[in-house]
Amino acid sequence: MHDSTFKLTLRYLVSILIVGIFVFPIAWWGLTSVKPISAVFDKDRIVVFDFEPTLENYRVTVLGYSKRGSKEDGKTLMGTSGNNSYDGRSSIVSSVIVAVGSTLITTIIALLASFGLSRMQFWGSQGYLNWILSQRFLPPVAIIVPLVFIFHDMGLRDTHTGLIIAHTLINIPIAVLLLKSFMDDIPIDIDQAAMIDGATRFQCFWMVILPMVKGGLAATAVLCFIFSWTEFLLSLFLTNSIRTIPVKITTYVTSTGSEWGYISALGTSAILPSFIFILLVQRHLVRGLTMGAIKD
Amino acid sequence: MSGWLRSCVSGTLGVRTVKAGWGVSTTKFIEENMTMGSVTIQNLVKRYGSLEVLHGIDLAVEDGKFVVLLGPSGCGKSTLLRMIAGLETVTSGDIAIGEQRVNDMHPKDRNIAMVFQNYALYAHMSVRENMAFSMRLRKTAQAEVNKRVNWAASILSLEPYLDRFPKELSGGQRQRVAMGRAIVRNPEVFLFDEPLSNLDAKLRVQTRKEIKELHQRLKTTTVYVTHDQIEAMTMADQVVIMRDGVIEQIGTPLEIYDNPYNLFVAQFIGSPGMNLLTGEIVQGASGKMFQTGEVTCEVPQDSKAAVGQKVLYGIRPEHLQASMQGSGLSATVTVVEPTGPEIHLYATLAGHEICAIAHQRLDWKPNDELKLNPMIEHVHLFDAETKVALPTV
Ligand SMILES: Nc1ncnc2c1ncn2[C@@H]1O[C@H](COP(=O)(O)OP(=O)(O)OP(=O)(O)O)[C@@H](O)[C@H]1O
Ligand SMILES: [Mg+2]
Repeated sequence: MHDSTFKLTLRYLVSILIVGIFVFPIAWWGLTSVKPISAVFDKDRIVVFDFEPTLENYRVTVLGYSKRGSKEDGKTLMGTSGNNSYDGRSSIVSSVIVAVGSTLITTIIALLASFGLSRMQFWGSQGYLNWILSQRFLPPVAIIVPLVFIFHDMGLRDTHTGLIIAHTLINIPIAVLLLKSFMDDIPIDIDQAAMIDGATRFQCFWMVILPMVKGGLAATAVLCFIFSWTEFLLSLFLTNSIRTIPVKITTYVTSTGSEWGYISALGTSAILPSFIFILLVQRHLVRGLTMGAIKD
Repeated sequence: MSGWLRSCVSGTLGVRTVKAGWGVSTTKFIEENMTMGSVTIQNLVKRYGSLEVLHGIDLAVEDGKFVVLLGPSGCGKSTLLRMIAGLETVTSGDIAIGEQRVNDMHPKDRNIAMVFQNYALYAHMSVRENMAFSMRLRKTAQAEVNKRVNWAASILSLEPYLDRFPKELSGGQRQRVAMGRAIVRNPEVFLFDEPLSNLDAKLRVQTRKEIKELHQRLKTTTVYVTHDQIEAMTMADQVVIMRDGVIEQIGTPLEIYDNPYNLFVAQFIGSPGMNLLTGEIVQGASGKMFQTGEVTCEVPQDSKAAVGQKVLYGIRPEHLQASMQGSGLSATVTVVEPTGPEIHLYATLAGHEICAIAHQRLDWKPNDELKLNPMIEHVHLFDAETKVALPTV
């Protein structure tokens, strides 16, 4: 059956419309980041394209130059400014460290936990799963105060390690559940075939199950990374000097006004690392890795 | 799959011809080094919590035999097989493979190979890697691995597919990969759990023959689970009939067919099934007779059935000679099913639904009168109470 040209056109139009609705805010944000301040705030009209593009906002937030017109202007070199409070470079580094670190730890722990939960029967294995899930019932804000005290006493406050641990804790339940569902899709017969072939439990996990859940692992990693990359509340409370990007951006809203240009520049730049990460991982995001293992 | 046949034939020829190539000497080498094992099971019980699914199984599988576990769904065949494999724990009783008690032995140390119903292939490995996996785990030398994989592939006609992935194979080919994975290791015992149930009817018949050929060639002890009586009859040296966690009868296919121990076995084997008439033994003019309703028929005089005993009279459809006129029991045809080589005639006899097989292509029609002559030497009598076959004196 061939769709008529009309139907096809309609389909394209609708898809473009929907994509447009989703992309518009991001595109507008990106556009704002290259606008001079006068174009952002024009009281007479909405400036769309007719402005002089500038990279000033990126110069300050991503490259660390001082704000033009301030006292140090012209004297500082890139990266040497000590008191440019709009310098987002260390935030980017912190965000990358925390997101990569917590994603790595989460996926490793979740991988092992979900294998156990999916493949082994032990006392309370069912209750255990519910317990894991229940960890997500509580909104993080409910635990934030005790967490701050505990982290403070343990010397984890305001450290990358601390934040990594916090994000890992939040991510583990979802990661375990997600990975377990991927592992449950692999019939237990495969494990048993491997065991009869002479594999130990670990070999079975490492050589058979792990390659088969690669797709699920990639999906889980993406999810964890995005969560950590955009997480705000824990990062705000658990750190002072280390500021991840979401927290850093809020500091651009100052008593003397909001620096919309800087906010949009850092925000737009923040898309890039997660975009790269997802690009790296997405080729593993293929379905049907177990295809052919069993009859259908 | 004539390819497989061909390789079998050329293999045997090759062993005799001196100028055989590399492949043939490999075949010979491997086949001479086959180890074998028997399987002995004593009073084996399996419980899942409070549910007992195997109630004391005793079974001895001789070295090199092809034994089929046959029974209806849920009778515990898979459980028994998986206990032999070491995939289920033993509640009580003993399992020995060869001379060794294996109750608590890890599956990998039992030197068995298993083919699963759903094949359970490693989807991320090529056919070659699938077959080599067990040897890779045992750190077998690469040359030896190649030799064995090529040998198995040649037996199963899998050579063209060695570098494909399971998802690129048809169901029958996947099934052969699963078998290849089992035979490369040269195990003491092969375990098959309904390996053909996912194949279509034609392929099933073909693969059935191939598995039998494979067994004749390798002579490895095999335990094969199925609920298909035709598979059991055609492949087995010994059939083990199970029901609800107990063994009902063990014997060669023909023993079981000719002398079913009880009603269950009699009904389970044979298609169309054995005709059964309920009635009792009466004293007739020429000795003991069977009577149901208005109808009386002869029974073997050496049967232990006593006059007055309530019995079931069993006769297989092919032992009921049907004719259009003449003497015999009168029945009315209900359905006529021509199958090609023979005609299945369904009829009512004294209120019982029965089936007879006619070999002549007569023009049978529903509602015709039919004369039936049971072949007396093939009559089976079962006690109506115990459902056990009545022996002859
Ligand atoms: N893990 C388990 N827990 C509880 N009961 C089980 C378990 N596995 C199997 N059973 C029960 O044991 C009995 C035998 O099961 P089994 O799988 O051996 O049957 P089967 O003869 O192989 O049947 P089929 O022909 O359908 O494969 C069934 O009644 C089943 O419900
Ligand atoms: Mg079964």
